Amino acid sequence: MAFYENTIVTKQDLAEKDLKTIKEKYSDIINSTSGKVIKIEEWGLLNLANKIKNYRKAFFIHYKFEGSNKTLNEIEKKVKIDSSIIRHLTVKYKELDTKNEFFRKDK
Amino acid sequence: MKRKNKKFQKRGSNSLSKLSLFQKNNGKFSKMCPLSVKNAPIVDYKNISLLKKYVSENGKIISSKITSVSSGKQKKLTKEIKKAKILGLL
Repeated sequence: MAFYENTIVTKQDLAEKDLKTIKEKYSDIINSTSGKVIKIEEWGLLNLANKIKNYRKAFFIHYKFEGSNKTLNEIEKKVKIDSSIIRHLTVKYKELDTKNEFFRKDK
Repeated sequence: MKRKNKKFQKRGSNSLSKLSLFQKNNGKFSKMCPLSVKNAPIVDYKNISLLKKYVSENGKIISSKITSVSSGKQKKLTKEIKKAKILGLL
């Protein structure tokens, strides 16, 4: 078991319901395949630096979780099929820091 | 005539114009690595405000000669910048 971070970039023109279902879908996938979600962050609608598949803005969902290669394979499979996801990135970490949030909106 | 004089004076005061952000006011580059000091900022692909400093306007990574980042941190920087570019954050 190791610690991972996964970020999902979704299309701009999604309703709030769809976002919620996507968010729950992937946390379920992680939990069902011998993994454990530690934290979920929603970065909200952000401007992209350059166009990706003709989208200028995108929603970002960020997972911090513990899992094995099973969970990673499962996520990879599901993301490839999912048409509402533009890009994704998984990074392995020795330790997760849950304190710092770089995308929190200060109000 | 007055106008010309003013312009000339301004140029004289700004003779040591900075080439980059990382240069000190006297025109010299600092030699200390800004990322390996105590309480240094975290180099991470989520920390975009930091990464933006080390990328030129055209999206190129600035060399460590100019930014005086140590070689170990420069390797980490390039990796994190490339990750941020995949997600379209930079």
